[in-house]
Amino acid sequence: MSVKRRLAALNRQLPESPFERPGLALRIQRLRATPHRAARNPDGDEKRLRRALQGVEIADGVILIERRIASGSMHGSRSLGKVESLNDLFPDAIKLLPERLLFLDTETTGLCGGSGTLAFLVGMARLEREDLIVRQYLLTRFGGEQAMLNAVATSVRASDVLVSYNGKSFDLPLLEARNIMADVKSPLGSISHLDLLFPVRRAFSRRWEDCRLARVERLLLGFHRHNDLPGAEAPAAWFDWIQQGDDARLPLVCRHNRSDLLSLALLLPLLPEVYRNPGLYGADVSSVARLHLKAGREELALQLLLREKSNLEQAGLALLAGLLKRSGQLRGARAIWKTLAAGGDQAARVRLAKHYEHDLSDYARALDCADGLCESDEKQRRCSRLRHKLGEIDRQSRFEYG
Amino acid sequence: MQAQSQEILQPSQSNDANELARRLRSQFSGRITGELHLPARPGRFRALPVELDPRLHQALKLKGIEQLYSHQRQAWESAARGEHLVIVTPTASGKTLCYNLPVLDAVLQRRAKALYLFPTKALSQDQVAEISDLNRLAELGVRVFTFDGDTPGDARKAVRTRGDIVVTNPDMLHQGILPHHTKWAQFFEGLRFVVIDEMHSYRGVFGSHMANLLRRLRRICRFYGVAPQFILCSATIANPGELASQLIGDTVTTLAESGAPQGEKRLLLWNPPVVNADLGFRASARSQTLTVARQAMRMGLRCIIFARSRLMVEVLTKYLKDKFDRDPGRPTRVAAYRGGYLPSARRATENRLRQGVVDCVISTSALELGVDIGALDVCLLSGYPGSIAGTWQRLGRAGRRNRPSLGVLVGSSQPLDQYIVRNPDFFLGASPEHARIAPDQLLILLDHIRCAAFELPFRQGESFGGGESLEEFLCYLEEEGVLHLENETWHWMADSYPASSVSLRSVAEGNFVVIDTTTGGQRIIAEVDYSGAPMTIHQGAIYMIQSTPYQVERLDWVGRKAFVTRTRADYYTDAIDYTRLKILEEFDSAGSICAATALGEVHLVQRVTGYKKIRYYTHENVGFGKINLPDLEMHTTAVWWRVAPETLAQAFPNRQQALDGFLGAAYAMHHVAALQTMAEPRDIGRAVGDGGSGWFARVETNGRGVMHNSEGEPLSPDAQQRFQPTLFLYDDYPGGVGLSQPLFEGRVRLVSAAAELISGCDCRFGCPACIGPILASDERRGHSAKEAAQSVLVLLNVG
Repeated sequence: MSVKRRLAALNRQLPESPFERPGLALRIQRLRATPHRAARNPDGDEKRLRRALQGVEIADGVILIERRIASGSMHGSRSLGKVESLNDLFPDAIKLLPERLLFLDTETTGLCGGSGTLAFLVGMARLEREDLIVRQYLLTRFGGEQAMLNAVATSVRASDVLVSYNGKSFDLPLLEARNIMADVKSPLGSISHLDLLFPVRRAFSRRWEDCRLARVERLLLGFHRHNDLPGAEAPAAWFDWIQQGDDARLPLVCRHNRSDLLSLALLLPLLPEVYRNPGLYGADVSSVARLHLKAGREELALQLLLREKSNLEQAGLALLAGLLKRSGQLRGARAIWKTLAAGGDQAARVRLAKHYEHDLSDYARALDCADGLCESDEKQRRCSRLRHKLGEIDRQSRFEYG
Repeated sequence: MQAQSQEILQPSQSNDANELARRLRSQFSGRITGELHLPARPGRFRALPVELDPRLHQALKLKGIEQLYSHQRQAWESAARGEHLVIVTPTASGKTLCYNLPVLDAVLQRRAKALYLFPTKALSQDQVAEISDLNRLAELGVRVFTFDGDTPGDARKAVRTRGDIVVTNPDMLHQGILPHHTKWAQFFEGLRFVVIDEMHSYRGVFGSHMANLLRRLRRICRFYGVAPQFILCSATIANPGELASQLIGDTVTTLAESGAPQGEKRLLLWNPPVVNADLGFRASARSQTLTVARQAMRMGLRCIIFARSRLMVEVLTKYLKDKFDRDPGRPTRVAAYRGGYLPSARRATENRLRQGVVDCVISTSALELGVDIGALDVCLLSGYPGSIAGTWQRLGRAGRRNRPSLGVLVGSSQPLDQYIVRNPDFFLGASPEHARIAPDQLLILLDHIRCAAFELPFRQGESFGGGESLEEFLCYLEEEGVLHLENETWHWMADSYPASSVSLRSVAEGNFVVIDTTTGGQRIIAEVDYSGAPMTIHQGAIYMIQSTPYQVERLDWVGRKAFVTRTRADYYTDAIDYTRLKILEEFDSAGSICAATALGEVHLVQRVTGYKKIRYYTHENVGFGKINLPDLEMHTTAVWWRVAPETLAQAFPNRQQALDGFLGAAYAMHHVAALQTMAEPRDIGRAVGDGGSGWFARVETNGRGVMHNSEGEPLSPDAQQRFQPTLFLYDDYPGGVGLSQPLFEGRVRLVSAAAELISGCDCRFGCPACIGPILASDERRGHSAKEAAQSVLVLLNVG
């Protein structure tokens, strides 16, 4: 009996087969597709595809699609601005030459990663004066992968910094894995990399449901995609092509990838603005302020917080009070602590107690605050020290034992 | 690694295991059917190799190791010759040094990397602790990391890039390492040694998966241009060399002679006394085990009890706790240990064992592996573990540190147990079993080819293991749409991660979690594997943890959750299941028109229908419940026996007798089959039915065989037009694991051995030791089931 028949017999009756059994639609589609496959003419198919995509074959199995997107024809409400200093966003940002930036985004055969997943489309874009030059490498066969990866490596070598969205945990590891599999030497592992997901997350993770690029486009770039192919459908689009020569969805995948790159290019200059004026963009002011603080821009952090004071939540107010105190504005700090303490904030009560005790030597008020703290050894110590300072210890013991 | 340069044989103390043996012998001489005495044996030593790295030399010296056991030196020499090797020596004979020495030496001298594989996470952690100890003593600077599900995400990169020795388990290699091999490129490029400890646990289904996993590992190694050396360690089995070479697909040198000293050992075979001669009832193994355990604990001896089921672990624990842990103010002396407890709870028990604060631990086979639990004096086996190798392995748990130790094997009323305790010479003289694997089992092989294709594209002409044609599989997967052939290479072609849907330990996916809702919240307290769920956590079941009973309020089958609450029930539950088989294809047959044996493929349906409530201590039945759960279905291979209806009609006065005979014969044959194939009884299933889906039969609680239709409704044998009972023995695994074939070939021996088992039994009408429990008295039944079974066996003995 053939392996196939034996397997069929075994599988037929297995409970909840652990294998990924394709849905009915796909199975029927596959059945229908079988005669097509026999009649396929790979060369003819590829020629048709190149025409549809307006691309050129640069190696066996690789199509290059090149587009220039002029600054005036930008999508959404933004346009490509000058990429100014990114120091605000990336504390260790190097001196950036805009034309040495490489925006990168891939479309892959799967989202779970692992060495069996490959990028079938690698899109890269760079700025040339005011325009965006987009180069996309599309695999039309598995065999083209090495050539494509080499082309990517060449582009990367010609750049200083990669810019991606979630590339650190997705696109780059995947490309590096494929480089190893295809024995391609690439500088991917060592090039500087700005993953814009991180600054977006820092600014918006507590404001938005998620930080996917689609949301960034809607809420920051004012861009709504029409008839976009969802990213999750990209693998199937490519499989249709490979298995059946069906190229219907590939142009949509390419367009989707271009939109991603364009959004990246628009987001990059916008983010420093967001970090300068977080309130204006609905970002999380205290989180942004904390970054500025960490980078030694205390003055800026304080300014931001003061400007947005009425919108700050508890943590932001506490941060602001701390900064005010450090800059000597004790009254402002005290006012905030008082508000917070009244709302039951323990940390604020401690601050306030310290403030009264050390800055103002007002032990009675300090004790008042300390009394409101939750029971703890620290509270006991603080209170008894304050009572001592107030000279209350003696009086009380006389009262108790006398 | 213990200090092993000096051997101190402690003088016999008044309260040691020898004294316990003496007392047992004088009090219960009638129950002891056999005894084995192994005198203490001195160690054989050899010098440390001169070429050993001086730093390592120093580390050993600091540990108090100035010379090696002879087998450790042999392992060193074999490894130095570049051979793959397997070391087979008893527990506590210093086998870890056999691989640690060559590995550490290579790490220090050649910056080599090594991969250690242990079957469980617990063992990995022990191992890391041990090497770290050596490391610290002499500041070797060898970086040893565990890599398993508990390794935090941010530490993983360091493990991959900086680890000299990475300690992991097969599941992690399968799902976490091989599918991401490019991240491990650096590690693989330096990989020189692969160490596989507890090799004997890789048998049957798990072993077949393991062999394929190692095929994948070697394939990845070839990609990175390396061919690491394999060092394997095993407890005693009959065929270590054969198993090792099947697992790694290469020739292997076997080292089986231990040079380690051994303390005095004694083993008693124990048969519980007969309490009802008519029914052949003996006292339970449980009661006998408790008797010995109490005596041992009163003498201050530390003991381990192995029970055969998780349920029995809990029952024994409860009884011993009732006796010894009554005072809630004092630390507990008794602990249970079994699979299904959360890892943290198990680690805690292991620690308490090592510290010596637990006097008695009751365990399933979970503790037979090399988890370090310190020195124990007595090992009690409540029931024969099912295999000779398994028995010795569990017995090896006592007497690790050169003190006299005692093992007691208490036979239950199961036929296999009775055979063993009644024929002590058989057991004491028998060689241990062969560990069998079937790496080319179709479904297992397919799973791993799928995973391998994801890891690296297959090229035309490549091979994957032995027997089957790889290309046929690849074409099959291409048709399934997961591979794509282009330019003589099969590329992975699906948006999925195949390793995540392949479990090395069982067929079906998805463990169940047990959730305690007693206090209103939800707290996970245990895990139950898929195949065990219908029997143990059905609605209404009493599920026990450390002998605390919980009642299952609801089982969410789809969500794989059982919701339980604490209960004070004075009973436990035991589920009732049945099996229905349908013959699909006959591969081979033998016999005559009157009776025939056949080998072939069957479709099997298992259903759990209800459960019994059994009261503690009295063990009476106090109620029943119904269970409504999905059927488990599979295809597997089976051997079956059937007798022509006419022949049957001539041999038996009525059909009920014939049915009882078939059920009794099946019971005896099942147990003999397990012994003959050296498998454990649960690897083989048995059933009696019509071979279609018309009816199946089982023994009801009154001891009478009853026929049921596929809906579970009772049928009368006399109402059937054609009555042809079929007796099945089958591989209890989808696709089969190769047990049915030898059963078919050994059918003559099988049937006659079953007949001998029954005729040699002392009971009058049949008993659990021959044809299964008989509750209805012979008079009420109107015939002897024992005789009926013998008549059936005469008919089946057809050659």
